[in-house]
Amino acid sequence: MPTCQEVAEQATEYLEKAMPRRERLGVWAHLRVCPNCRTYLRQFMGTIALTRRAAAAAPPPDDEDRLVAAMKAARTPGAD
Amino acid sequence: MALDEDAALLPRLRAGEEAAFRELVRRHHGRLVRLAGVFTGARARAEEAVQDAWVVVVTGLDGYSGEAPLGAWITGIVMNKARNRAARDGRVVSFADLARSEAEGPALEPGRFMPDGHWAERFSAWPSPTPEREAGDRQLLARIGDALETLPPAQRAVVLLRDVEGHEPAAICRALGITEANMRVLLHRARTRLRDVAAALIEPAPAKRSIPATRL
Ligand SMILES: [Zn+2]
Repeated sequence: MPTCQEVAEQATEYLEKAMPRRERLGVWAHLRVCPNCRTYLRQFMGTIALTRRAAAAAPPPDDEDRLVAAMKAARTPGAD
Repeated sequence: MALDEDAALLPRLRAGEEAAFRELVRRHHGRLVRLAGVFTGARARAEEAVQDAWVVVVTGLDGYSGEAPLGAWITGIVMNKARNRAARDGRVVSFADLARSEAEGPALEPGRFMPDGHWAERFSAWPSPTPEREAGDRQLLARIGDALETLPPAQRAVVLLRDVEGHEPAAICRALGITEANMRVLLHRARTRLRDVAAALIEPAPAKRSIPATRL
């Protein structure tokens, strides 16, 4: 069975399902008996969700009014 | 972001309604600037590339088939604009070279484990978001956003494309010119780093595990 260190270093391969079946079963078996690694992995997955929200909550455009006006002009028939 | 939320805007966007443009920009602009920055470098150039892309988006709305979600269609246009902009600026980034230098050594310091490979720290479950904690959450998200900006460029590229944009590994590897093994190593380092950042904010004092007396 892999150690905590090996499980932590393989967390992405495990989640991306990019591991040979034998190794995958090893990680799975470790997680069954190691609550600390289970918590770590749950935090690891939680981080992916947090990252998605963090990337969306980014600053607005430098000049939103000007941008929206440019979009409206581009959408208006006959406009150049 | 629910896909149908954008689809609901479509008729108003096609009608040229200013409020609908504003809503769409507010939903996507920030994420798109981050993504464009992967190719253009400086934020100011990313901002310009995305602003140019928005004009392409609204003029092309009649050609949007609805097959892909609107957000994904916009993402494709932005990536093209950003790559063209980078090429025009003579900024050719080799993600394969970056991947090699960014992927050395383990993602986690060996000192965080005991000699037998067990964790030397104890984790506790993170609370799920609640309305009462909204202000704290906003701060947490802002700090994670900052951490995203300070990741090495290839790691940032991969985490944005995979975890934020949700692209398939094969498509990401084509876009960046790296192998899937490269991609997973970069992704792993980025996720590990971001988890550490989040953990430091959520559980401010990670207690070192003391070795139980029975094991001495
Ligand atoms: Zn473990």
